Amino acid sequence: MKRFGVGFAVVLSLSLILTSLTAPPGVAAAEKTVTIGFTASQTGKLNVEATRQINGLHLWMEQVNGAGGIKLPDGAVIKFADKFYDDESKKERVQELYTKLINADKADFLISPYSSGLTDAAAVIAQQYNRIMVTAGAASDSTYKKGYTLVYQSYTPASRYLTGAVDILVKLTPKSKKIAIIHENDKFATDVVKDLRKYAEQKGFKVVLFEGYDSATADFSPFINKIPADVDAIMGGGHFADTTTLARQIYEKKINTRIIALLVAPPEPKFAELGEACISVIGSSQWEPLARFTKESAQKEGIAWFGPTGEEFIKAYKARFTEDPSYHSAGGYVAGMILQDAIQKAGSADTAKVKAALDAMDSMTFYGRLKFATGPKDHGLQVGHEMVYIQWNKDQQGKPVKQVVWPAAGATAPPFVCPAR
Amino acid sequence: MKACQTPGFWLPLVIVSVWGGVVLLIHQDTMRETAFILLMAVGLASSLNILLGYTGYVSFGHIVFFGLGGYTGFYLLSAQDWPLFAAAIGGGLLSALIAGLVGLAVLRLRGAYFALATIGINEAARAFVSNFEPYGGATGMFVNFSVYQKYGGPGPALWTTFIFLWITALAVLLVSYLVKHSRFGLGLLAIREDEDAAMVMGVKAPQAKTITYVISAFFPGVIGTLYFFKNGNIEPGDAFQLHMSIEMLVMVMLGGMGTVMGPLVGAAGYQWLRGYLLTSPIFKDLHLAVAGAMLLLIILFVPTGVVGWVRNHVRRLQKVLE
Repeated sequence: MKRFGVGFAVVLSLSLILTSLTAPPGVAAAEKTVTIGFTASQTGKLNVEATRQINGLHLWMEQVNGAGGIKLPDGAVIKFADKFYDDESKKERVQELYTKLINADKADFLISPYSSGLTDAAAVIAQQYNRIMVTAGAASDSTYKKGYTLVYQSYTPASRYLTGAVDILVKLTPKSKKIAIIHENDKFATDVVKDLRKYAEQKGFKVVLFEGYDSATADFSPFINKIPADVDAIMGGGHFADTTTLARQIYEKKINTRIIALLVAPPEPKFAELGEACISVIGSSQWEPLARFTKESAQKEGIAWFGPTGEEFIKAYKARFTEDPSYHSAGGYVAGMILQDAIQKAGSADTAKVKAALDAMDSMTFYGRLKFATGPKDHGLQVGHEMVYIQWNKDQQGKPVKQVVWPAAGATAPPFVCPAR
Repeated sequence: MKACQTPGFWLPLVIVSVWGGVVLLIHQDTMRETAFILLMAVGLASSLNILLGYTGYVSFGHIVFFGLGGYTGFYLLSAQDWPLFAAAIGGGLLSALIAGLVGLAVLRLRGAYFALATIGINEAARAFVSNFEPYGGATGMFVNFSVYQKYGGPGPALWTTFIFLWITALAVLLVSYLVKHSRFGLGLLAIREDEDAAMVMGVKAPQAKTITYVISAFFPGVIGTLYFFKNGNIEPGDAFQLHMSIEMLVMVMLGGMGTVMGPLVGAAGYQWLRGYLLTSPIFKDLHLAVAGAMLLLIILFVPTGVVGWVRNHVRRLQKVLE
């Protein structure tokens, strides 16, 4: 029995070791090297999103270094190297690892971990050691309202995640009055719907239902039954699994409304598996491959264009990682681009000069516009970038297909009202 | 005072005192951060050991006291403007109070039923806090960066937090020893071996278990406040993580339950290993596999924990390692 125990332990250990052989690609250091430090959730619940984010960042770094680095006016050339550790999707070691990145690994700039919770812990350390940190995947507004002066957000903040849906509703049916909000009772979704409610009420809407559900909820009947019959819009949701179930049950219960706008799940290609139930559902995304932010649209708005076009980014990403980029990938890439743009404009990698360039930044990229708040109350908050809204429709064969419907500048199709159920 | 001459009493205290003293003396930030994680684990594991090791009651949801205490302390800090030390004590006291009330009910359960009930308490606390607006509801609470200025800036604030944690870890070890070697502690050990027999012999089991539960809940509350103050924010998902509870159990088992030295060795060893593997260039992509394999081997071959194994094999060290 004991021998079996030893054998079992050895086999298990070997299999554990073999299955975890997934080392990310290293990046060669150049002569004049600026080190970018970050933690990445290589393991744990945030693994998928965080891996795409690092892929995006690595692609950017490889391209910049491959093109010979950033040439500064004084003739110096800056190349980038990265240093990162696994934070296991947990907060416990984030501060320890960022302190190590700054003090032991001499990181010059920082990128945030994925998610607002982990970023909050990292931001304290970044500010303490006077390091600029560009955040990606950290949408919560509160991170930028704590008095930090060196933390810059690349995502549209949570407070504006669904407000565009209200604008769509106004445009589609100006006489609409009633909105029902059903949301996951967690930090992210609650942050989003609190501001959604405020925005809707400012626009003259009446929020007739405002209910939070537990993250593990699988039966939404008690919430759906509370929706008044004459409601004009249903909004809310939370993360992928619960939002998908909510959308399906709204369809199954034949609730009639003008629009349904939900968080996180609708932009995912897997959402199409709902079939009929996904048709007309609107979702917001930080970036969509379909979205058309171009040099021309930048010129029209009088904003400087920076970086590759959307097509170039998608092509390079697909070639490098053999998968379609998600908005997490674009977020990681853009976090690098923000630093690149600021260093180029500052003509230096000095923190104070780069900070000044970031404060003054107003650029258009394939990902959208990038501009940061500079007031003392919300310094670093993203104020330029807008969410892209997609809506599911049917193609000619009757299969679900998503279209960008908002903002009008990047739209590929006009939004439409939910068909009667 | 006789206790002071016993190595089992002073050895853990000297180890932690010297360790903290060296960190303070060298004054290196990276070292402080590592020591913070390790000492936090020592404090949490030793607190759990007071219940688990001495009474044999397995609390799977002990992290609830870290979360509730952390929330209360953070609330006192941010909304009521209490100084850190007072807020941490406040957090600890609330945890102890809740443990006292809850303990009266759940400590009537034994074995797996008690373990399951503690998980339930943790989930209930998470659900309560997620809907409790004074504690920020689902979005939690945060402090402005300027709060650290009260402690001389963010750097000194982190050092102050570390010193408080160091003192707390020393206090847990001291209490752990005193409980074990008191008449009260002997009653607990009797409960661990056979609760019914202990009651027949005159041990007031329900009362003794509740007091133990209260003691073991106080320190996680203090540590929770310090940890969340250092992070600058608190939210339900971070405060009531079941995996931290399970890690606490692993650390106690690894070092040797029912000993004062065991949780110190288990917690520091476990967290040091995790930290080393996470940042080592060779193992950083394999850290979970290596940590898992080592845990497996230790539990397979050293079921009494490191301290238990040494005590069993080296007779001379039996009085040194308590």
